[in-house]
Amino acid sequence: MATARGLSFPDDTTHLEPRAFERWQARRRWARAGLIYVVMLAFAIIFIGPLLFATVSSIKTDPLEYPPSLVIPQLQSANWSAAARLGVAGAGDRWFGGFAPGAVVPFEITYFVRDGVEVTTPDVVVPRRRPGAGPGAVLAMDFAADYASVSETVISRRQPTVVEVGETTVAGELVTFAFTITYEGDGPRTDRLPLDVTADLGMTYVESTLTASRLERRGRTASFENAAPGLFGYVLRNYVRVFNEVRTPATRQSLFAVWIGNSFVFAFFRIIITLVIASMAGYALARLRFRGRELIFMLVLFAQMVPLQVLFISNYLVLRDGIISIDGFKLSALWGYPDGMLNSLTGLLFVTALNAGAVFIMKQFFESIPREVEEAAMIDGASHWRRYWSVVLPMARPALGALTIITFQAAWNDFFWPFIVLTSPETMKTLPIGLLSFRNIYGGVGDWGLILAGAVLSALPVIILFIVFQRYFLEGVSFGGGKE
Amino acid sequence: MRHHRQDTIAAYLFLLPFLLLLTIFFGYATVRAIYFSFTDYDLFTTPNWVGLRNYIDLFADPLFLSALRNSVLFAIIVTTIQTFLALVMASVLNQKVRGIGFFRAAFFMPSVTSSVVITLIFLWMFQRRGLFNYLTHQFQSAAPLIATFVALLVVFQVAQVAWERTRRLPATWFDPALFVVSLLIAGGGTWLLHVTGVVSARELPPVDFIWLQTRATIPAGAPFWLSVPIPLAAIMIQNIFTTVPTFMLMFLAGLQDVPKSHYEAASLDGASAAQQFFHITIPSVRPVTFLVLTLSMIGTLQMFDQVAIFGDAAPLRSMVTLAYFVYNRMFPGAQTPEVGFAAAGAIFLALFTLTVVLIQRRIVRSEAI
Repeated sequence: MATARGLSFPDDTTHLEPRAFERWQARRRWARAGLIYVVMLAFAIIFIGPLLFATVSSIKTDPLEYPPSLVIPQLQSANWSAAARLGVAGAGDRWFGGFAPGAVVPFEITYFVRDGVEVTTPDVVVPRRRPGAGPGAVLAMDFAADYASVSETVISRRQPTVVEVGETTVAGELVTFAFTITYEGDGPRTDRLPLDVTADLGMTYVESTLTASRLERRGRTASFENAAPGLFGYVLRNYVRVFNEVRTPATRQSLFAVWIGNSFVFAFFRIIITLVIASMAGYALARLRFRGRELIFMLVLFAQMVPLQVLFISNYLVLRDGIISIDGFKLSALWGYPDGMLNSLTGLLFVTALNAGAVFIMKQFFESIPREVEEAAMIDGASHWRRYWSVVLPMARPALGALTIITFQAAWNDFFWPFIVLTSPETMKTLPIGLLSFRNIYGGVGDWGLILAGAVLSALPVIILFIVFQRYFLEGVSFGGGKE
Repeated sequence: MRHHRQDTIAAYLFLLPFLLLLTIFFGYATVRAIYFSFTDYDLFTTPNWVGLRNYIDLFADPLFLSALRNSVLFAIIVTTIQTFLALVMASVLNQKVRGIGFFRAAFFMPSVTSSVVITLIFLWMFQRRGLFNYLTHQFQSAAPLIATFVALLVVFQVAQVAWERTRRLPATWFDPALFVVSLLIAGGGTWLLHVTGVVSARELPPVDFIWLQTRATIPAGAPFWLSVPIPLAAIMIQNIFTTVPTFMLMFLAGLQDVPKSHYEAASLDGASAAQQFFHITIPSVRPVTFLVLTLSMIGTLQMFDQVAIFGDAAPLRSMVTLAYFVYNRMFPGAQTPEVGFAAAGAIFLALFTLTVVLIQRRIVRSEAI
């Protein structure tokens, strides 16, 4: 018997031939590599899982359905072609559908009717249903119900069948009913054509031209959000709602589109401001010798450590007073803000312009360029400005690129300052705090489809940027890890 | 060093925009916050000097005490768990394998998206019939199967290692090749027992654990300073999830500098994986550990976004943190703003963070000697 101690020294304990032992070890190495991939895959699923699951659920009619299922009608190709066909029938639009004058929408719905139950035609109604719970529901709008007329319902097919319910089998037949919905006369085009079909007791919904959005009363009532949705209107319904449903009461602008615009404008100017200020300050700190340099550098480090909560009290007041207010005259009136700079992107840019971290990065970068390189490219007697502008700055392109990406991410994701500065009106907000408005409006009533769709859309630009410029994001982290 | 006058002028011109911003939005702001903390300012009337009253009142304010308790527990629990998880994950992943780039990117994905997006997704998963309760339910239902699987796994692994050892091969208890075989056998065995009906999942009612709209705490009925409100625990889970990848990558960068020969020498001397972890991995990433602990402490003590985004989804007392307390006193909705009081809270938060970081620095330093 081998003792546990002796096991550590394969050469003198094993009685396998050297080549067999070699194979034994190779087998271990392969298994080890395989296990590592399995572990990494498990981690990847854990970390991307919630994002992916939210993305998939964002196309569901109800992302809170229980138990959560990955069998989603919106992902079935039969529904795609039906949705496009119905969209064309409803408004001649295969992408977004709708209900317009001249529409004739054919629809079929199949019920299971058990033997002994009399087959009766179901009740078909185009209800006056308001969309969602948000401002969209409040806005005056046209209802398809006012213009739709439903034809007589006829039986188009009957087929005997047997279904299994648990242990027992139930005999009956599948009965398909057909009807058409017609737009009567002339009128406005409506975005949606809601539909409710209710059958008598003993009849159970099986299928229809388009899978029902909801079943009620034990499968007797099939409810459709939109019977003429078009492909996008069906598959990406929540995404269309994100843009269409929440609008300003006055101008009927899509709030979500406004927020996206604001976020891009904010990010764009914040990048420009950061690049200019940080590269100038970084250059001075890295290259020039002057009194007070050490003190300023200390302040740069210190400014990054003080919590935002200490600074926001005064900064909020500074924006309210338009920098300085003297006898009611606010300094910001000079650049068009006589009432102070709260609730403006300009104000937001002011408070976020102080970026000590960016100054630190640029200083470190300029110090990494050897002085000789700068001097070799130098024309004697050139001013500091020309050195900075025509020699050093072109060399700093990689650092400026990295700073651009980091700043875009910071601006796009920024929550704290927009939350403090942009409180009203809704059209002033950036995406993250706009999404918070969504949550306040829709979260309370459990309408998560729209919130998730908005969240996925707002995460998209940064995720794309991350996939393309991964290096910059990950290097920043490794840099932090590598230093003392 | 001689300072040229021209250099000095040029330097200050270059620094002018930055210094202006630094003066107004940092220097002036800090001084003003300190000043306000000694007054009864309320945004509308002239501030009156009240000395240390605000600071004394803080410790009599129930909301502040809740915030202090929540922030401290949040910082300690989250920092401990996420540092440990990040280090363990990094040492598992510290391998030269193909495709590591893809996995690194995948792990990092939650960290690049905004706090609002991640928090909204978690808020959705924490609903009463959300993903968390569903997965808990699935796990509880499948518990007999999982237990069977683990038992089979252990039995077969032990049997195989014992067999190899009788053949005088140096198999360790976690021998990877044997482990793969044990996994396959245990999986197949569990499946067999399942289809033959020997072991089956339990029939349980759905889990209806309330994560958000509750004042309950973990552990229930613990003293005030030791009880973690459940909504705060939900935020902890989310915070760990989003921060672990970042710290893991930092550790990974640190680990890559540790020479492989250290580990090889140790395993020749018969050191187990756990011994290697505690005696080689942990000491060699000490500088990174210090950085991670500091960043984690600062981040968790100043947690704000999640509380603001949860908003009315959970009771304020059950999740308020020091950072949110300051905001809440500055903008208390319909009440009069208590700017002086808010400022005192903010200064307390800053000093508290600084103290914690300094103490931690001292502890890490003294251990190093």
